Amino acid sequence: MRRRFAGIVGLGILIASMTMLGAAPALKPFERGTWQSVLKGHAGRPTLVHFWGVTCGPCKVELPLLGQFAKDHPGIDVVTISADLVPNLPAATQSMLDKAGLSSTENFIFSDGFVERLRFEIDPAWQGDIPRTILISRDGTITTIEGSAEMADLEKWSGQQLATH
Amino acid sequence: MVRIGLLGIVALALLPGAALAQMHGQHGSEAACEEPALRCATKVTPAFGPDGTLWLVWMAGGQVSVASSQDAGRSFSAPVQVTTKRLNLDWGPDARPKIVVDRKGGIALAFSIFRDEAFNGQVLYTRSADGGKSFAELKPITANNESQRFEALALDQDGTVFAAWLDKRNRVPAKEAGQKYEGAGLFFASSRDGGATYTEAALARDNTCECCRLGLTFAAPGRPAVIFRNIFDGGVRDQAVMTFTDVSNPGEIHRVSNDDWQINACPHHGPSLTIAPNGTYHVVWYTNGKARKGLFYAHSRDEGRTFSAPMALGQPGRNPTRPYVLAGATGTVMAWKEFDGEKTSVQMTISRDDGETWSPPKTISSTTDTSDHPLLISSGRQTYLSWMTKADGYRLTAIEDQP
Repeated sequence: MRRRFAGIVGLGILIASMTMLGAAPALKPFERGTWQSVLKGHAGRPTLVHFWGVTCGPCKVELPLLGQFAKDHPGIDVVTISADLVPNLPAATQSMLDKAGLSSTENFIFSDGFVERLRFEIDPAWQGDIPRTILISRDGTITTIEGSAEMADLEKWSGQQLATH
Repeated sequence: MVRIGLLGIVALALLPGAALAQMHGQHGSEAACEEPALRCATKVTPAFGPDGTLWLVWMAGGQVSVASSQDAGRSFSAPVQVTTKRLNLDWGPDARPKIVVDRKGGIALAFSIFRDEAFNGQVLYTRSADGGKSFAELKPITANNESQRFEALALDQDGTVFAAWLDKRNRVPAKEAGQKYEGAGLFFASSRDGGATYTEAALARDNTCECCRLGLTFAAPGRPAVIFRNIFDGGVRDQAVMTFTDVSNPGEIHRVSNDDWQINACPHHGPSLTIAPNGTYHVVWYTNGKARKGLFYAHSRDEGRTFSAPMALGQPGRNPTRPYVLAGATGTVMAWKEFDGEKTSVQMTISRDDGETWSPPKTISSTTDTSDHPLLISSGRQTYLSWMTKADGYRLTAIEDQP
């Protein structure tokens, strides 16, 4: 009886664990040096990096559109970075990503209180306005879109990227 | 073996939580510590009282507190907590608690909280009638329940407290009518009893940018003046100034500069306005427009109708940010932050001819970790830089003492 109970508990933990393991990867901390890792990690692949934040109105509108874009373009690496000032809110951030269909993309959250330094590493001219999207071509060419991106522009860019493959 | 396997799975299952927990460490925080104390504050706002007492209001550990200093910021009285419970205070980059101290020593405060999980804001206010020993129960500045943020307070010569803020209430009728609603409304109210009660909120201008601080002051007795990021035709988010006819009636808006910053985003970077005793308006702002990018200064000698050509501030490669301007007894001072890749410095310049010419910029303070916006404050005789830093705590630096 005891063994059976233990077995059921064990099975429960196993199922719960598998669910966790099968679920979206947790938000990754974005710290000093992370930007260079992102660039290196996606080098040679067309990559869309989206900066947003949970309190930003235009971001709330754009995020689901980006979720659809990611779904429609498996050949493009999509990376999101929550760039609100710390204290950032991992639960709220993850919830908005989930709702936008961005659970399975590579998702970061600013995790260094010295945000000026984080932003400076990404773009010394960036003052923190969000949303902001950086398109990185296969050859490393960077195009920055300030404010909400037009999905037609993203389609055009991804079309060019995938055509040259 | 089975047990180890299960433990391993349990450990794996707990990993994501552990990773997130680590991110709440001090390194990842804007604050040096998590208590309500001044040294843990992320946002500190100063005001001088009529007797030269320096008053500070700050956000720390989810609480808002007030303390005073009789020796220009070297030592402070025991803090008085304004909030009775930990609140989800508005931590947005351009948010901060506000304070004005009237001639009788009455203290009016206002600040924003996030009132729900969708980050809808609410502006709360309170006052102290006993010289900062105690504060009245917090009240919302308006009964309306739509989002409000970015409040500003200014004090008139007769003791009237004027409040302005950004308010999303007009998105409701727009949505009901099936219309798109951009930005937020610039709303205002005033108090004739030192900030104990405010008049009903009124609209000054609809569809302004929703996420930047306001600059608010008085142009003349009874005439508030506000600078804000407006949304002009085509979604262009450039600066505008409005001088009120009186505390109940808004005036016309005038564009400060045609920067042509068309962006559907939250710049999180508001302007600053000061009006000299001779009536000159001095303004500083940030733009990333097609016409110009960076920090700029301009002045107006016709009550904010027309402005001088924008003058660029700061070194472009050093990300100049958070500009502030204040007309004081010995000149008009501007301060802003620059970042060199390792440390943040506060730069200042002073004009002794009402904004015609400016001294070469110089560094007056610096820090190696995150910091609040640099603010300027005048005691009437002297202008000071008020600056909260994570690494070095709170600093009040006399501008005129700088070599």
